[in-house]
Amino acid sequence: MNTGLDRKIVLVTEAVRNFGRITALGFAKEGANLLLASADTGEQLAQSAHQASELGAKVVTAQCDPSDQVQVDALVQKCLSEFGRIDVLLNNPFLPLEARSLEDISFDQWREKMEFEVTGSVQVCQAVLPQMVRQEWGRIISYGGLAGFQGSDPMTSASELGIVGLTRGIAREYGKYNITANCICPGGVESPGQSHPYSVPPGDEDPLPRWGTPDELAFLAVCLASEDAAYLTGQCLLPNGGKYFL
Amino acid sequence: MNTGLEGKVVLITGATRNHGRASALAFAQEGANLLLCTRQSMDLLEETAQLASKSGVRVVTGQCDVTDEGQVDSFVKMGQAEFGRVDVLVNNAAWRARGELLSISSEDWAAAMAVNLHAPFLLCKAVVRGMAEHRWGRIINYSGIAPFRGASGQGTLKMACEGLTRAIANEYGKYNITANCIGPGSIAVARTPGQEGGPAEGSTVLDIPIPRQGTVEECTALVVFLASEMASYITGQTYLVNGGAHFL
Repeated sequence: MNTGLDRKIVLVTEAVRNFGRITALGFAKEGANLLLASADTGEQLAQSAHQASELGAKVVTAQCDPSDQVQVDALVQKCLSEFGRIDVLLNNPFLPLEARSLEDISFDQWREKMEFEVTGSVQVCQAVLPQMVRQEWGRIISYGGLAGFQGSDPMTSASELGIVGLTRGIAREYGKYNITANCICPGGVESPGQSHPYSVPPGDEDPLPRWGTPDELAFLAVCLASEDAAYLTGQCLLPNGGKYFL
Repeated sequence: MNTGLEGKVVLITGATRNHGRASALAFAQEGANLLLCTRQSMDLLEETAQLASKSGVRVVTGQCDVTDEGQVDSFVKMGQAEFGRVDVLVNNAAWRARGELLSISSEDWAAAMAVNLHAPFLLCKAVVRGMAEHRWGRIINYSGIAPFRGASGQGTLKMACEGLTRAIANEYGKYNITANCIGPGSIAVARTPGQEGGPAEGSTVLDIPIPRQGTVEECTALVVFLASEMASYITGQTYLVNGGAHFL
């Protein structure tokens, strides 16, 4: 399959650990060059960059808190000055907060999660869209999750469905510029090192009774970004082993 | 049809006019007592209260900025002190983030997020313990047509509110509390200055199966039903009242 991603420029937010990293590597394998960002300043981002470079990609990294407008603008400026364009945004909004009962969530925690993941996604999309409009080509792919559909913990559920709403809005408003926006909402995909109280191990009642692998997500992201996915927009793909049918 | 709402206590935010006032009057006709708030015009709110009182129900009003945690908590406590409990919460207050994504300023976004997402969170959190103790509760949040037709500002916030609604449905169903969303389409309403302009995002009024705008009464009929005893097995859902503008 020729994805047409060779030498495309892909911006990945929270390109650390699990989904963000594996997706960045998926794009690197297709010959794309990468700007990898994370709010964390730790070693994780450098590790992602190192692995992607080994696959032959030109990689630039940046520290960016998506809820900070100034940092987001600087991130996109950096991408444009390094690469001259932005073809794909892999929006991976993820602020790991412990899942809680509604009554145990403080307003500060709620706002922190919504501002990082929802407002952060809005700001990153606002920052990349003008360039995609100029290019008349763009792909915005966001990671959500199953919580939004099944209604698990309030913060994650709200944030994840918010991302779906944003995706549909961008799809409607910017399709005329040949920009597509889609969501990948995984469920039951293994993410080593992260525990989630609502993440139920696969069981016999699941159509596919096993964990999904991060590679299976990266495949979908690459498909959605590819040239041949040009007529697919505003949609949610749910790689979840059949746990939930949309 | 016996809705079982007589004597129940219904909290409605933004009850000055449009959907909020129409809901207040509809619940009053069912014999429910009302706890109404606004952050804007107390004159309009008192007008709603007066109209509702004609149905012989008790109405308590208060000024409350629903985006402020302290004000929400004291308003709910005041209502619980007056009535002993809150049975139904209708999160009606709304503020629109209008326009395409690139035209939404960070100020508009923050204002819309505060009213459309933070406020439902604060209100739900404030009433849900009391509902759980009474083993009965109804939460009704407002979605819209934006999430389904696509509109970046409202679509994002309204869908996030649907996510919150589903989480509450999941967590509190065992206490006989239901949480649902109503999604109005293009409804004839009066707009606040700064919120004017056209029908609901994404909808062309005449080009829908029922080729006219809806009325607020056509929406409140669903709100009253969702709050009623008859809707006790419906939870975590979104129902669209939009003249067929979008088929779910």
